[in-house]
This record gives sequence, C-alpha cells and structure tokens, in this order.
Amino acid sequence: MEQAPPTLHIENISLNFGGIRALQQIDFSVRQGEILAVIGPNGAGKTSLINSINGFYNPQEGAIVFQGRDITRLPPYKRAQLGISRTFQNIALYTNMTALDNLMAARHIHMKSNLLTGAIFWGPAQREEIQHRRFVEEIIDFLEMEAIRKTIVGNLSYGLRKRVELGRALALEPTLLLLDEPMAGMNVDEKEDMARFILDIHERQHMTIMLIEHDMGLVMDISDRVVALDFGRKIAEGTPDDIKHNEAVIKAYLGQEA
Amino acid sequence: MNIETPTVAHRATKPGKIYTSKFPIKAAGLDSHNDTLPKNFLLRVKEFGDRVAMRKKRYGIWQEYSWNEVYQHVSDFCLGLVSMGLKAGETVAIIGDNDPEFYWAQIATHSARAISFGIFSDAGAQELIYGISKSKAVFLLAHNQEQVDKALEIRAQIPNIRKVIYWDDQGLWNYSDPWLASFEDIEQLGEAYGKTNPGLYEKLVSETKRKDIIILSMTSGTTSLPKLAMINNWRLVYGNKLDIHDFAPVFPTDNWLSFSPMAWLTEQAFGFTPFLINGIIVNFPEGPDTVQTDIREVAPAALLFPSRVWENLASVIQVRINDSSWLNRRLYHAFMPLAYKVIDLEDAKKPIPAPLRFLRWLGEFAVFQPLRDKIGLTRARNLLTAGAALSPDVIRFFRALGVELRQLYASTESAGTMHAPGDVKLASVGVILPGVEIKIADDQEILLRTEAMFSGYFDDPEKTAEVMDEEGWYHTGDAGYIDPDGHLIYLDRVTDMIELANGEGFSPQYIEGRLKFSPYIQDVMAVGGFDMHFVTTIININFENVARWAEKNRIAFTTFVDLSQRQEVYDLIKQEVEHVNETLPPPARVKKFVILHKAFDADEAELTRTRKLRRRALENKYGQMLDAMYGDLAQVTVSAEVKYRDGRTGMVETAVKVATI
Repeated sequence: MEQAPPTLHIENISLNFGGIRALQQIDFSVRQGEILAVIGPNGAGKTSLINSINGFYNPQEGAIVFQGRDITRLPPYKRAQLGISRTFQNIALYTNMTALDNLMAARHIHMKSNLLTGAIFWGPAQREEIQHRRFVEEIIDFLEMEAIRKTIVGNLSYGLRKRVELGRALALEPTLLLLDEPMAGMNVDEKEDMARFILDIHERQHMTIMLIEHDMGLVMDISDRVVALDFGRKIAEGTPDDIKHNEAVIKAYLGQEA
Repeated sequence: MNIETPTVAHRATKPGKIYTSKFPIKAAGLDSHNDTLPKNFLLRVKEFGDRVAMRKKRYGIWQEYSWNEVYQHVSDFCLGLVSMGLKAGETVAIIGDNDPEFYWAQIATHSARAISFGIFSDAGAQELIYGISKSKAVFLLAHNQEQVDKALEIRAQIPNIRKVIYWDDQGLWNYSDPWLASFEDIEQLGEAYGKTNPGLYEKLVSETKRKDIIILSMTSGTTSLPKLAMINNWRLVYGNKLDIHDFAPVFPTDNWLSFSPMAWLTEQAFGFTPFLINGIIVNFPEGPDTVQTDIREVAPAALLFPSRVWENLASVIQVRINDSSWLNRRLYHAFMPLAYKVIDLEDAKKPIPAPLRFLRWLGEFAVFQPLRDKIGLTRARNLLTAGAALSPDVIRFFRALGVELRQLYASTESAGTMHAPGDVKLASVGVILPGVEIKIADDQEILLRTEAMFSGYFDDPEKTAEVMDEEGWYHTGDAGYIDPDGHLIYLDRVTDMIELANGEGFSPQYIEGRLKFSPYIQDVMAVGGFDMHFVTTIININFENVARWAEKNRIAFTTFVDLSQRQEVYDLIKQEVEHVNETLPPPARVKKFVILHKAFDADEAELTRTRKLRRRALENKYGQMLDAMYGDLAQVTVSAEVKYRDGRTGMVETAVKVATI
C-alpha cells in the first residue's frame, strides 16, 4: 500500500472567493486503491475541495495531478473522460428519466456513435447500445436496483436516488470515485446498505475512492485513511485510529459535536 | 347477497361419520420406477432433454436453463456433497431467496436420500440457531453475504455444520475462511468425483425409497416454537395425484413463478413437485422486490397466495383505480356493478339476461381484461388461496374481475379440501380431495386421513402423538363442519371459538376477514366472549392507503402514530366498521374499536411468519386497551416496547382513543 503511486496528488492548492479563503495550502495524496475520507465541520471546505478536483472550481494556487498528469486547468468533462467521476451532496440526476436511462446517459462518454448513426440505429449503433446496456445492467445487479430499473427517478425515495447517483458515477467507469456525503440524510438501514456497496465496489473493482462524510462511525469503519479539514486548512492526516486520537481534530470537530 | 354466518350453532354433523370424496383418486401408474421425486427428475430429464426447465431473470433478461443443464448442476452438486461425506438421513439446511440453486440443491440432497430443510430468509440469529440445531443439519446453504454473515456470527452455536455453501458471491470475494465454499466449488468436487465413480448419481437415485424423509418443513407455529414436519417422497408424489386431474390440472407448458418461501410446503407442493413430476417451467424473479413486475411478465398458470396477500391485492387494485384517470374510473365504476350482478345470478343459478351478458362481455374489453393483465393473471388457471380463511368479499371481488379464486384447505401435515373449478361456494373451503377422508370430532375438530400425510415431527414423538392418533387421523385443531353439499366449512381454531354472553357462538376470524376487505384496514384482532359482553376490535390501518386518502383530503400528519390517531381517520374507519356491522348478526357486531398506534409486526412476535395473528401474545400486550374498551374509558395511554431492526429496543408512549359505535 505504501509504495503504490498516488492516483491523485493535491499540491498546495488555495481557493479564494473574493476575500473568503475556502482552501488554504491543502496538500495531500490519494493513493491507488485506497478509500480516503475527508472530514471536517460545516464550512471547512470539503465540497470546495471535491469541486476543485473535478473542475467546477479553479484554485488560484497550486496544482492537481491525476495519474501523473497536471489537470489543474482542464474543464470538468475532460476530467470525467480521464476517469474522475463524482456524486453530489444534493443529488443531481435527471429527475424525469428512469433510473436505467440516467445510467445509460452516463455511458455517453464511452459511446462512439454520432447523431447520424444513432438516428439510423441499425448495425453498429445498435450493437453499441446493447453492449452499454449490458454494462449498465451489471451495475443494476451490483447495486440491487432491479426493482427500480424502470421507475422515474423523481418518484424514488431519497436513499434510492442516492443509489442511482452512485450507479451513474460507476457507469462512467472511473478510476477515481469522488463521493460527496453519500450517506447524508439516510436512515440506519440505508446507510449500512450504502457502506456495503462502497466496500463492495472497492473490493471488486479495486477502485480508488475519496469520500466526504459526516457520520464519524461510518468513516472510521470503512476508510483506510482520513484527512481532516478546518476553516480551509488541513489539520490532520492519518489512519482512522490516528485521527480519533488527534488533538487538533478532537478540538475542531469531534469536541464540538460531543 | 346471502352468505351464511358461521356460528357454533351449526352442529349438523354427526360425530364419527367418515366423509370421503365423490371423485376417485387417479394414482394408477405409480410404482417403484417413479415413486420418488429424484426418480421423476431423471425421467423428466430423459423426456425433455434440451427443453427449457427453468428461467431466472438476471440483468433484466430471463436466462434459461434446459433440463440437461439442470441435470449437470444437480448431479455434480449431489456428488460434491456425497464426496464430502453427506449420508442418507442427514440434513442439509438452506437459507435464502428462491433461486435455481435452491431447487438444484434440494434435488441433489433428495437424490442422496438426505433431507433438505428450508429456512425463511429473514430469520434472525436466534431462529437460525433453533432451526439448525433442531434439524441437526450438517451442511448449510446460505444465499449470499447477508446469510453467510449470519452464519459466521452464530458459528459457535452451530458446531454440527461442516460447511457453509453460498451461491451468490457478491461481497464474499475476500472471505477466505475454509468453513465457507461456493456452490461452484462443490460442483467441481462433484464433477471430479463423478469421473472416478461413473454412474454413481443414477445409482443413488435408483436407491431412493418412497418412505425416505426428504423435506423438513417448518409449521407456522401460531401457538409455540415452530415444529419441523417430516415430509417423505410419497407425501408429495401421491399428493400430486390428488388434485391434479379434476381440481387443478397441470400441463408441462405451464409457467410457475417461484417466490413463496421454500420453507413453506406450498412452494414444495405446487412448484417443486409439479416441476419434477409434470415438467412445468419454473421461473425465478430477479429479487424479492420485483415479484410484482415479474408476475406480469411470466403470467403464471397457477398462483397460490396466503389469503392476506389476496386481500392486500384487492385493496391495492381499488386504491390504484381511485388514483387512475377519470375515464378509467368511470369505466370501472360502470362495469363493476354489472359484473357483481352477473355473479349473483350465477350463484342463484338463474339465467343471465342477454343485455346483461352483452354488457359484461363489453366490460371484458373495457376494464377486466386490461386489469387482469396489469396484475399478471392473463394465463392463470389455478388461483388458490390458503392460510387464514379468505373473506367472501374478496372472492367475489376477484370473480367480478373474471378471476376464479379457489380456496385450498390443507396444511404442512396433510392434504385436505379444495374448491373444484366452477364449484366455488362462498364461506366454504372446498370439497374433499380424492384420497382424503374427513371426520368431525365431538368438539367440531376437523380430522384428516390420507396417504399424502406427513411422517411426524422431526425428533419430537410427543408433539407427533398430540396430533396423530392410532387410527392415522391427523387432528387439525381447526373447527368446522361438512355442509349438505359436501363442502367443508371452516370456522376457526378450536381454541379460538368464542361463546358470546348470550350463549351464541362466534368466530373472531370471520369478523376480521370481513373488516380486512376495507382498503384502509391492514389487520384486525376481534375480541369478545366469556366475561366480555360485546365484540371489540383492535385495528391496524393500512398506512399506505390511509396516507394517500389523507393527502387527498388535505389532512396533515407526520408519522404512523400521528396519522392513526387523527379524528378524521377514526371517522373513516368507523364508517368501514359500521358497513361490516350491517352484515353481522346483532350479538357479533363490533361495539367499540381502537386504532393501534403501530402495525402488527412479525419481528415483535405479534404475527407468525405467514402473518397470522398470535392472539394470546396480542391479548397480553394490548390488555390495557381491551380493559379500556370494556371499562368505558375514552382513551388509554400505552407505552409499548418497539424492537428496531438492528436489535435495539425503545419505548413509545402515546394516547390511543377508544371509538364507540
């Protein structure tokens, strides 16, 4: 684990919104094949960090290096093509489409057929559609979404929508999966299901996962390493056990909650 | 509508008289070449070869298995188990949802003259320990990670299990415990073992005997811990002949959807057995949540639900109609009364006037056919209901839709009665099946005798002696009588028959059945008799339907507890109760009721796994409410212990109102 080259390296990035310093000199790596959790109180800059990684925000200082390549100035869609996919804290799905169609839409970046061949559909375009459908069906099987395959996403419960979003992120076939509070607002059962899916994805596909989470118990259970943020600064980095006993973290976060 | 109200006043039956079927049993041709299920399996493989035997929906597509493929899996798995030391008479426990592997494992086990024992997939740790130790199982088949984790958790308490075998490996990739093995691992072992011992599988099958115990089936245990009924080959092979010809004809082209728990004998008798004997095609749903859509796709030839599922379906249909478009609603409400009129005339054996017949025919296209398609009943021939007695209203409702629901009265222990096609009598549970004898005891208990009878409770001669007498009669514990038409009328459990204050008898289940037809009522417990001078009920609202109703009527609510105690909801339920009261004889009418602040829950031991009420437990638990109703209180504060799914317990305190009619 120690020797694995980092999948993602965050090099001293700083992000300012006018006078507000959202991220200051953040520096850490996500190693290949690990689950890294980012924790921190509200407003610590966790979502800003993810938004910087996938390209929604452009940090004023520092660099983001993904698989040895500097992606700091790349637009979001290019980063997605390189293999970075994410889910959102507030769920961003096509609410009037079925779960299946949402997943198929995510396959778009892997599709070769153009407007014309897609319209004719016969031949290669059809074969391609079938091949992508098979891939999507495997995700549906994996995330146990058979019963909601043809359900309009807007009619699904919150927990299931989160699951569809995870499915969509997987449909991009990422090498790095960014999860923004995947378990926020869920009940105990749903949280446990989600944790199991995240672990299964990690085990089965050896995917590198970076997640933001509030539920400390779950973070400590499933992640290999933890990075703690407070007021835009990194205050600690280490194994869950280290973090549990880190005084800066206890003061900033755990202490505040207790 | 003229439905007899069953009361204990019906004592028309002469005790001691033995009733038999007017139909002869057609069991000719059963001899030592086909008297066990595994022998039938080999015969079907030879007969059908590459024809499709079963389908499993995976990745959104129905994947097919031919008889030859099934043979490969079964023979390999059987030899795998044998090579690991499985001996005749030993038990293999299986926990999981219905899947091809569940069927294969069963046939494989039976072929080795061993016993399969299905356990409900939602069984908790304690139930699992009880089942495994009681059955003395030596192998455990566990569906997936969830079940394997359960087994690992209780490992110390189940030392007799030599190996845990799983067939869905999701999430199990990193488990390296040698106690675990995959289904394929065992098949590979068996394949290798078969190569060194050619013809062994066929030899094993040829040694199977009709009296071999092949299945342990959990009885529902309304009163105590579940017992394990021993089922031999003959119970199923002979039992298959009882109803096949005149009552529930079966053809090899029939489709069956396998989703009722394998732990239950129903699936064994109506899915597993006809699969092996009649060669029906067995379809397995994608998962427990997709059954509804899968039923529609499969359109099975036969369906057997416990009565409460039919009741549920009836109320779901009614609610959906109310939610559907204006045109659909108008059509439904226009044609439904006509359909009721037709069946009333049919019941009265009166001719149906041509205009009415024409309108019913029209309704078939406008409403009934599309509606049957929606619920997957387009090819259904044998629709049976079992378990608790079904409300006659539900039977009438489905008949109006063009679906003949027939009652089956049978238990794990013994075959019994069934409605013949075209001879559905409301309030009866059918006529005696060929090959079955019935006797009514002095206290109205129904006694059954047949060759399709269980072989006693596993390792429990005392319990067996309680229900089996020397003459071979099985004492059902149910009260009933045979009416002049030869139909069996089921009243209630003997111990649940209640004498009202005025000396008249009454059956709580009967009142409950009528009330449950309301789409707003999920469960009811009716109480009365002895020192209680009138009938009262504890009602569970159907949360989904009442919530929908509340939304429509702009009634705000937060939780189940809140909704259940709204005055508007009380008024709604009161109307439903008054409606039912009109059809009941005065002493049996419901005078007071409470709406419970929570749903009855099998996890809290309020219902059995087949969702029958555990009356004694409920009476104890809700004694306070009963006292309030009989003690003229307007409301009662209850604090009930609630057990959460993760095992924690909490207390809920709330005021429950008493409504008087």
